[in-house]
Amino acid sequence: MAADSGRIDGYAALRDYAVVGDGRTAALIAPDGAVDWLSWPDLDSPSVFGAILDAERGGSFQLRPETSFSVGRNYRPGTNVLETTFTTESGTVVVTDALTLQDDHPLGPARELVRQITCVAGTVPIEWTVEPRFSYASAAPRVHARANALIASHHGQALAVSAWGAGTPRHTDGTIHGRADLTPGPGAMIALSYADLEPLVLPTRGECEDRLVRTEQVWREWAGQRPYDGPWRDAVLRSALALKLLVFAPSAAVAAAATCSLPELIGGERNWDYRFSWIRDSVFTLNAFLQLDCPDEAIAYFWWLMHASQLTHPRLRVLYRLDGGPHAGERTLPLSGYRRSRPVRVGNAAAGQLQLDTYGELLQTARRYATRIGRLDADIGRRLAQIADLVCQVWRQPDAGIWEVRSAPQHFTQSKMMCWVALDAAVELALAGLIPNRRLEKWLAERAAVAQFIDSECFDTRRGSYVRSAGSADLDAGVLLGLLNGFRPAEPSRLAGTVHAVQRELRHGPYVYRYLSEDGVRGGEGAFLACSFWLAEALARFGRPDEAVPLMDELVGLANDVGLYSEEIDPGTGAFLGNLPQGLSHLALISAAGAIADAMHGDAG
Amino acid sequence: MNVWAALAGGFVGTVLLTTAMRMANELKLTRTDLPFLLGTIFTDDRSLAKAIGYLIHFVNGLVFALLYVAVFAAIGYASWWLGALFGLLHGLFAATAIVTVLLPLVHPRMGTPYTSAPKAAQLETPGFLMLNYGLSTPVVMLIAHVAYGAIIGAFVQLAA
Repeated sequence: MAADSGRIDGYAALRDYAVVGDGRTAALIAPDGAVDWLSWPDLDSPSVFGAILDAERGGSFQLRPETSFSVGRNYRPGTNVLETTFTTESGTVVVTDALTLQDDHPLGPARELVRQITCVAGTVPIEWTVEPRFSYASAAPRVHARANALIASHHGQALAVSAWGAGTPRHTDGTIHGRADLTPGPGAMIALSYADLEPLVLPTRGECEDRLVRTEQVWREWAGQRPYDGPWRDAVLRSALALKLLVFAPSAAVAAAATCSLPELIGGERNWDYRFSWIRDSVFTLNAFLQLDCPDEAIAYFWWLMHASQLTHPRLRVLYRLDGGPHAGERTLPLSGYRRSRPVRVGNAAAGQLQLDTYGELLQTARRYATRIGRLDADIGRRLAQIADLVCQVWRQPDAGIWEVRSAPQHFTQSKMMCWVALDAAVELALAGLIPNRRLEKWLAERAAVAQFIDSECFDTRRGSYVRSAGSADLDAGVLLGLLNGFRPAEPSRLAGTVHAVQRELRHGPYVYRYLSEDGVRGGEGAFLACSFWLAEALARFGRPDEAVPLMDELVGLANDVGLYSEEIDPGTGAFLGNLPQGLSHLALISAAGAIADAMHGDAG
Repeated sequence: MNVWAALAGGFVGTVLLTTAMRMANELKLTRTDLPFLLGTIFTDDRSLAKAIGYLIHFVNGLVFALLYVAVFAAIGYASWWLGALFGLLHGLFAATAIVTVLLPLVHPRMGTPYTSAPKAAQLETPGFLMLNYGLSTPVVMLIAHVAYGAIIGAFVQLAA
């Protein structure tokens, strides 16, 4: 991998980031050893290290050789513990990074980042700098020495820097730094322990080492219990591990990504906060959990989904906070943005949009859950029936669609398809006796009406394809999602025609754009990775697995060096764009791999 | 002097004191967490520590109420403002002697100025006036204790 000079204006390429996490938050680490993103205590908290959004002021934790180096990286097999090997002329050091998993015995820090540095050959001078900038870099902390550690604090938060064998930590102007010459031996360790609204716990080196070993062991056990043995196994398992990092353990919500405001176009304004849980992703999420034999995560996620949506029942928000709250007020931060991509947004105004497809996603998720688990709680059943009733009322309205356009609402085809899926799921659940069936006739009638609307208003006979919205001349790869979720056209040729049209007009090599028309936000964007995987899945499930396999091979090759994906890729340069790691990309990969494996075994559905 | 009134005042006062400290936490004025500090004397399990800590905290609140009523009885006078004065002294004593000096000495998981090369995880020490947990900590502690004392004084005064 590239050596130490890979930054542009102080920013590492998005493709170069690896992630570590502990089920509550995540950190992004560049190949040059810098932790450029970490929000503490939780994934959706303000950042402590935010250099990825402002290289000058954001704060980071840098750790690297003082001399020129080359880098190799990998995750320890079956874990989310990252290993970075720095090779210099004088020797080699390996840095092992983890946000440690706490099991409360014995008393440990509330949150902890451990960086173990082992010299495996020669002598390597290392330098390190911790620049904590709490609350999205709104303030430099006060730093003082206490109990064998340097402590940076700001309002109710404090962060202790403990270093062993890594030189004597010193501090100037809210920055803590040190250096050491490492030789083979016991090595060095630096631990950041964090406390929010409580006294800090200051660990010993032995405890940090034990927790690091335990963390690796817990990850390996979890990964070892994932039974997937089909094609692209390594990519599927890495995706599973990446997805697990996005499961917010305290609530079981699944965040769309670990970051906020990383741009969909460098220098552009499509910079959104993805540290929320989208109803849109729920079917894929549940499917992935079931496919990977994660029943605990599947059950917990479904209950979170029903719990969170209870707050707004029967209406659904587009997204919910990780704690289940419905409000995600959007604001901009006075940061310069990744490579001057402004504004830097936190919160997400899409929360308040009307997005009709969410009803289909929720009911489809419930259908999958009930099919696998075999039952539905009676109260949940009543609520699902009420949601189906609401769909009957609202499906004729225009909405913002799955892509949350900020232009005027339209009658998006994918939204209507998912309304059809919602009513279809309700009918099936009612016939199975899992939800009340008093309104069954109404649901059947409205389901037919939705299908009629889609087939008459949202289909371009010239192209032989469903289009983006009623009366539109544009295509939308999101329509594939409606088809994958079970919307079946009256004429089967329309299904094949749509897949073919997406291939013809939105696909460039392995890349697939969401759509090419305007959406109310200035500037373009990259190709949307999930759409590429949806296309691969559609090819597999709709009778063309021979085309799906090479596409999937290409897509698996697009991951970065440690197997992660962002939201989008620039087809021209291969650069990652958007927030990362992106749950939807990894979910779509898991789903496509499973579908192709099924198709190859003749189980296509 | 009515002991039951003092106990009732002690209970209400402790509820108020605890709530005030928790609010101060949420307002980011302090990182003090008294139940956590007390509970970790007995266990390193965070959840259990907080449960034990709350129990000890409430028992302390009742015991101190009895001490207050003993002093009220000794001087033959009780009122809310005298209770508030006791609360002020109590808060100062807690923030300087009990938490700053005594707690680190008896707490098996907290460092003291004499600790070196620790063998186990160390809770951050509170420091003089508990300033290590935030500059506003002594103010919050004193206000909460003044309120606690005033409530006990008022309860005893009303029951007289």
